[in-house]
Amino acid sequence: MSWLYRIAGRFPRLVIARRNISRAKIRSILAAASILIGVVAIGAIGAGGAAFKQSQLQNIQDQGATNVFVSPGFDKETSYFDREDLKAIDETVGPAGVVATKSGDMELVTRGDSREGVSVTYIDDPRQVQSVERGQIPVNWRQSVVVSKGFADEYDLTLDDRVLLVSETETDSGPVETEHTYRVVAVLAESQSFGTSDVYLPIEEAENRRYSQVRVTTSSTTRAEAVAEALRDRFNDRKDELLVFELTSLVRLFKTIVNGINTFLAGLGSISLLVAGVSITNTMLMAVIKRREEIGVLRAVGYEKGDIVRILLLEAALLGMLGSAVGVAIAIVVALVANAVFLGNPFAFTQSAVLYLVGAAAFGILTSLLAGVYPAWRAANERPIEALRG
Amino acid sequence: MAPDISVPADAEQADRDRTDTESQTATDADVVIRGENVIKEYQTGTQTVRALKGIDFGIRPSDFVAIVGPSGSGKSTLLNLLGLLDVPTEGTVRLRGTDVSTFSDSDRTTKRKHTIGFIFQSFYLIPTLTALENVEMPRMLDKTPVKTRERATDLLQRVGLGDRLDHYPDELSGGQKQRVAIARSLINDPAILLADEPTGNLDRDTGDQILALFDELRAEEDVAVVTVTHDSYVADRADRVVNLVDGDVKNDGEPASGEGDHS
Repeated sequence: MSWLYRIAGRFPRLVIARRNISRAKIRSILAAASILIGVVAIGAIGAGGAAFKQSQLQNIQDQGATNVFVSPGFDKETSYFDREDLKAIDETVGPAGVVATKSGDMELVTRGDSREGVSVTYIDDPRQVQSVERGQIPVNWRQSVVVSKGFADEYDLTLDDRVLLVSETETDSGPVETEHTYRVVAVLAESQSFGTSDVYLPIEEAENRRYSQVRVTTSSTTRAEAVAEALRDRFNDRKDELLVFELTSLVRLFKTIVNGINTFLAGLGSISLLVAGVSITNTMLMAVIKRREEIGVLRAVGYEKGDIVRILLLEAALLGMLGSAVGVAIAIVVALVANAVFLGNPFAFTQSAVLYLVGAAAFGILTSLLAGVYPAWRAANERPIEALRG
Repeated sequence: MAPDISVPADAEQADRDRTDTESQTATDADVVIRGENVIKEYQTGTQTVRALKGIDFGIRPSDFVAIVGPSGSGKSTLLNLLGLLDVPTEGTVRLRGTDVSTFSDSDRTTKRKHTIGFIFQSFYLIPTLTALENVEMPRMLDKTPVKTRERATDLLQRVGLGDRLDHYPDELSGGQKQRVAIARSLINDPAILLADEPTGNLDRDTGDQILALFDELRAEEDVAVVTVTHDSYVADRADRVVNLVDGDVKNDGEPASGEGDHS
């Protein structure tokens, strides 16, 4: 007597259930397939959606969701920030972020003596925003300029080159141009961040100038949110002194929308699982009716109602497991593809993707079990002799 | 042997039978199952159908009792009660002296498993199981696969199918199937075999073999055989014949041996 036989003998109900399932192969496969479809629907939509959400979030993050942009508010007397305003903002932000101002109205005098508009950012230390690729930023970098790699390539600049920048200031007697010469001390590494600029100047250079916008760069979206909150608290208590705009609010909105869509789609998937449950009930009822006599015999020879119920529930659960296993396998393949497409790495499963996959399988098995309850109950309560005498 | 099936056609008769019962007290010890004034009613819609109208019965080891009667006469109901598949509405059914109505459903199932073996007209073997597995089936939940296999093999050899262990029901003749069914019914050493038209689907020769097997089992294992049959040929071989008509026993005891004590 083989060891397999002995082991199988320890789980008789499972053996019986498994054998029953393989008796009506086509019917069992169809029932399992209906569960499979539901599980794939939930798992693939859930995991794929999670990958999509993750990739879009990353995009937004890359686009500078860690930045907070501040402009003069409607109630501010002037339509610009001066040095005092900058100080106040800097104080409010504190160590949470780096304040930088932006002025887009400078012009670069190129070697061909033509002028091109460039966006210039005044900042305490550019390294807080981006890393340096070449050169070094001295502690006191007055008269120095730090440029982006793209800018350096475009205008063929290397370290220690001189750059002539022209700024225009509005005065009572009309616009006045000022020329500044700066030495390139560093070239920054490439970055795709939105809100970075090509030319960085020391914040001291911004003295006595007017700024249309202040950017606060932080290290995380949560910090950005906190900074925005602090600024609103301080300046916009009664009046709207500042217009504070942070991408985190967009992120939040996006998350809400994607989660909503995902839940809705997974909900549709659950409906297909519900249909699968009905199909399992139908299959089991047919099996129970077809095996009426056999179940009668089992009852007659000493199988208890509970045994019959357990055998039939096991059958239903096995159908569910079969459908769920194949379904999850397919959903994982779909998720792998989605991960590869959206996140660039097939194995970059997010936590919620894994939860969706596990949940889909669990839901599939649970649905099958529930679907088996009525047929099992019905079979167990059949009177054996009636079943056997027709 | 004293026949135990008697019928009170009315109350007076029931009183007379009670004395009859008392006279048998000495032998009660070995009665496997005894029914007294058994009434069974069914609710069908708003109507109450009285399927058994107060009958007495008793089965002893190695009895061979045939129950005959037209359809609707209460044979199924009696079989249900004898097989511990149901309890009477009134009266008592005692299994070895214990009132079965005191058993829970689960208790009854356990007692049934160890006391009663069932044999059916249509055999009801499970088509996907071999002869051997079919015989093992009642004991599968006991989780003693090795012991069960030995016992099942013995039984199949006993009924003359030692060379057909691994055959599926499809590959067996009617008589062979019924012998597998008999082996199955014997796997738990029952005291009573309940056979519902055991030869109904078999030709006369094969039927004879089955009846001979019953005789053998009664002689060697003291198993009582209670059979429901339409076949007078089977009834003729029984020790006692119970003729059920409309839930009453009409003429009890016309045994082939010609010995009846009914009032």
